[in-house]
Amino acid sequence: MQRTVLIVEDEFLIAMHLQRLLEEHGWRVIGPVATVRAALRLLEEKLPDVALLDVNLGREMVTPVAEALRARSVPFAIASAYERPERFAGEVLAGAVNVGKPAVERRLLAALRQLIDREPVG
Amino acid sequence: MMNVEDLYRILRTSHVQAQGIVDTIPDPLLVLDESLRVQNASRSFFETFRVDRYETIGQQLFTLGNGQWDIPELRSLLQDVIPRSVAVVNFRVEHDFPSLGPRTMLLTARTLFHPDNAGHLLLLSIVDVTDQARRDVAKDMLFGELRHRMKNLLSVAHSMARLTPVEDRSAEEYREAFLGRFAALIAAQDIAFAEDSAGDLKTLTERVLAPFSGEGHGLVIEPGEPVELTPKSLTSLSLVFNELATNAAKYGALSAAGGRVSVSWRIEDGERLRITWAESGGPAVVSPDRKGYGSELIRTAISYTLHGQLGQEYASDGYRAEIAVPLVE
Repeated sequence: MQRTVLIVEDEFLIAMHLQRLLEEHGWRVIGPVATVRAALRLLEEKLPDVALLDVNLGREMVTPVAEALRARSVPFAIASAYERPERFAGEVLAGAVNVGKPAVERRLLAALRQLIDREPVG
Repeated sequence: MMNVEDLYRILRTSHVQAQGIVDTIPDPLLVLDESLRVQNASRSFFETFRVDRYETIGQQLFTLGNGQWDIPELRSLLQDVIPRSVAVVNFRVEHDFPSLGPRTMLLTARTLFHPDNAGHLLLLSIVDVTDQARRDVAKDMLFGELRHRMKNLLSVAHSMARLTPVEDRSAEEYREAFLGRFAALIAAQDIAFAEDSAGDLKTLTERVLAPFSGEGHGLVIEPGEPVELTPKSLTSLSLVFNELATNAAKYGALSAAGGRVSVSWRIEDGERLRITWAESGGPAVVSPDRKGYGSELIRTAISYTLHGQLGQEYASDGYRAEIAVPLVE
């Protein structure tokens, strides 16, 4: 089955790039969306298998999305320019894999793959 | 101006301890005896800590000004550190002074041995760096913000390089396409953070479209009311103008002599910016390549960042685009 990934990223070019990259590698992309509100709305509809989150969305931090994902046991990776995103956006981001910005493509694909493999079967 | 070191040298070599010399020290300075009683103080000490000479001279340091100098770090500095070392430089003390509020002070202390007897004096200078410390915090935050912005910008350029198609084109064509977009990105940055007229739409259109106006065809930017845009909106519009102009130069009105592009805008109901791109006098309008990366970029820039709408018309006399962008969210 095709796996789904939610992308939250406020820069449209980066969002387009991530979407294309992940689609080329067999993912079905949910979004991308640029705001916390839009992301939370998508989560109400259907949960993705994993999520890829930018941290600083310009006017807001991605924190509420990370918290919602955590509460629903959806694993996520971070693509942020911050070296330690939890210092800016809360403890919920501590421990999540940060694939960096610009994201190293191989690292990004491996990180998402790993999040899925870690999931309990069933 | 004289500092503690200079004073120390003068006092040591000439055995004088004149009020005049002490007063030349720009920072608050105390001369203390062995039991930490104030022998002398500089004028700036009295001014800074709002105390007068009579309630200061002869007093023990820790009882001065209702004990406002009875600070644990200062006690340990003077009683433990100083006896074992000749000087302590820029020792940082954070303290809430009853008369001044919370302050950050840098203390420099130096022992002065009396040549005639076994006694010694202590020079203690106190520099208030509270404002400096506050400025440092603000500066750190600014640097953090700039670092983040820079990384973001590089990341956008990276994505742009990745998204610019390579299929069915030469390396030279790829380079031209990428550099055109890159130039639009730089133009938006320049204008977003310009010292004067920051974020101005007119400045942006002039700058981005300048390379496209040439001999035999006309690109006219109609006078419009001033519009100030956020850095993000500027970047998106800059890229949109670059794509529209690139298309016009390749297939549209700017590809032939006599062709004309008119760019205009107006504000509707005080809440919506409407930009019109109208081509005329060019070659016959060809069916659009809707799947191309250029048009995807235009559509996404307008919907994703600007929350706006794009209307396109492939009229027989020329391509026409209308971009409506809400100004208030």
